[in-house]
Amino acid sequence: MKRLARWYGANPLHLLALLGCFALAGYASAQLVKSHPVAVAVWFLGAVVGHDLLLLPLYSLADKSALAAIRHRSPRLPAVPWINYLRVPAGLSGLLLLIWFPLILRRGTQYHASTTLSPDPFLWHWLAVTGALFLLSAAMLALRLRRTPHPAASPSSASPNEKNGHNPAGAPRPPPSPATRQPPRTARQDADEPGARPPASGPPLGTDQEPPDPGHPS
Amino acid sequence: MTNARRSRRRSVLRSLVRRAAQRLDRLRRGFVSSSRAAGRRARQWLDRLPRPDELPGPFRQSFWRSPIRGPWLTSVLGLVLLAGILVLFATGLLSYAAYNPDLSYLNDQTPGKGWLGFYLFSWPTHPAWLYRLNQGVHVTLGLMLVPIVLAKLWSVLPKLFEWPPVRNPAHALERLSLFLLVGGVVFEFVTGIVNVQQWYVFPGSFYRLHFYGAWVFVAALVVHTGLKTPTVIRALRRGGLLRELRTDTAHTRPEPPDAGGLVSPAPAAPTISRRGALAFAGAGSLLVLVLSAGQSIGGPLRRTAVLAPHGQDTGSGPLDFQINVTAAQASIKDTETGASWRLTLKRTGTAPGTPVSLTRAELLAMPQHTARLSINCVEGWSTGGQSWTGVRLRDLARLAGADRAASLLVESLERGGSFRQAVLSPAQIMDPSSMLALRVNGSDLSPDHGYPARVIVPAAPGVHNTKWVTRLTFGS
Repeated sequence: MKRLARWYGANPLHLLALLGCFALAGYASAQLVKSHPVAVAVWFLGAVVGHDLLLLPLYSLADKSALAAIRHRSPRLPAVPWINYLRVPAGLSGLLLLIWFPLILRRGTQYHASTTLSPDPFLWHWLAVTGALFLLSAAMLALRLRRTPHPAASPSSASPNEKNGHNPAGAPRPPPSPATRQPPRTARQDADEPGARPPASGPPLGTDQEPPDPGHPS
Repeated sequence: MTNARRSRRRSVLRSLVRRAAQRLDRLRRGFVSSSRAAGRRARQWLDRLPRPDELPGPFRQSFWRSPIRGPWLTSVLGLVLLAGILVLFATGLLSYAAYNPDLSYLNDQTPGKGWLGFYLFSWPTHPAWLYRLNQGVHVTLGLMLVPIVLAKLWSVLPKLFEWPPVRNPAHALERLSLFLLVGGVVFEFVTGIVNVQQWYVFPGSFYRLHFYGAWVFVAALVVHTGLKTPTVIRALRRGGLLRELRTDTAHTRPEPPDAGGLVSPAPAAPTISRRGALAFAGAGSLLVLVLSAGQSIGGPLRRTAVLAPHGQDTGSGPLDFQINVTAAQASIKDTETGASWRLTLKRTGTAPGTPVSLTRAELLAMPQHTARLSINCVEGWSTGGQSWTGVRLRDLARLAGADRAASLLVESLERGGSFRQAVLSPAQIMDPSSMLALRVNGSDLSPDHGYPARVIVPAAPGVHNTKWVTRLTFGS
């Protein structure tokens, strides 16, 4: 038993639970794939590939590009974390498009024939909702800006991070929480060190960006 | 039997047992040595794989830079999603039961379900809003969970690229179950979402795909929930739910390195807090709720469902309410529904009487009954309450000589389609509100609403309110 557990790599209960899972899934799949086995398998695989290797990389790339675009702007940008005023309305609008694109882009050809309803308004509704979301976001950003001093008035020694809004109003960065407190970084520590915090004065990298790799010959 | 024969037989038996034992021992030793060899081979294979830092892009852990990824965020999203999916699964199973698939093969969209129909029961007619609520929740909540699913999958994406891809058999099996989990959740959401928009691109019957797909997904979800519960408890205990919800972007810190490899070893500066990310996903859910719930609530709120398929106002006349199949689409000809139309009442069983044939005028001369009921579609929208007038089904049963009908087969003039016929249960026949409707809101039915006569049954799925009825067959 012990040898089995060591070879298997987990508690035998783990194996039992997974076998139960595959038994039920197999029982249901036998019916699921009965009429169009290949097409259903393609749909299942396509679901994973379509999300994990297509949709997610695409929106991550869009986010990364937006952040990169900010970085190359003039340093006189407002000192509020304004990426989220772009990210949220764009994300919500994208979500609505993702859910309702068959109606918005008129994919369901039977819609008018079966409901007698017009297929026209969906595109305009989506555009209107998108516009309203961006307007609302812009209004909230404007309100926020009125309450925040302009960075031109703050000392020019502010780090790029602060200029890009990671640290509103140039407030001093608070100490890390005890759980993540680390000894000061040394130049020898490489980026792969587990638990390393971002350098406070480093470039304002976006999420999921390829880091500079000093140890790699290029 | 002599003693000599007995002892000979004993010795033969003994030698047989000995040989069997030897063979077993050889087998065991062979298995041990071969499993040892397999283990050695597997280790050698793992050692030959490139190290993560020699790999390109996403296979390097440091590729993943988000400082908010980690067990805390994934656990919170997972818990929200789990609660939502439990409701989706329960309402889905209830909706399946609402078709009364056990009553007749004609009602069963998934013959061959076997044990998966273990819980089926006779669907009630009370409360009348039961199916409306069930499907409103199933579809609207399903749409609302899309941003939560996206956020949850985003939070665990580094796991797709974990290295080595397979560490041991346990890891391999678990990853296979994760394929069913991720494939299942996306498959279920996509089939459901495109079906409510009548974009029938999926391979085969929606009922078959969505029902069996749900079981495949739930099988994987149960195991995943079981295996991850300790991780979730640990993450929430350490991170603290409220403490993290009070933390803004400036104070957001990466979590300490975790065994699951979610936390980035090279985190970038935060651009959003964890509560901000949760609020982002929550705002998505809220927006979807506001922009689609109206199609199931109806009334003046219908127009708020600006992106939902049945959110358009159809007018204020007596016949202006939502439909989903037109007479033209169902190829119903005027000649079939005109003066020549007859309703045939039949009775099956040991002593089937002669069929009764009724004109529409004769039906209108029978005692009329009025009830305010809504038609509620599996797609999650509702017509809202309409005032239907017609002959009670139980009166028609009596007329057919089937006072205690065990079933009612309703047939439409439609030539094709999965729902050109439906079988109703005794409870549905005997309910005082169930009727063969001839008029609605004080007006004759229109062709698109099922003229000359349609069935209306409280709490039944929309497709069981058969339009253009031509024959009622009561089973005894």
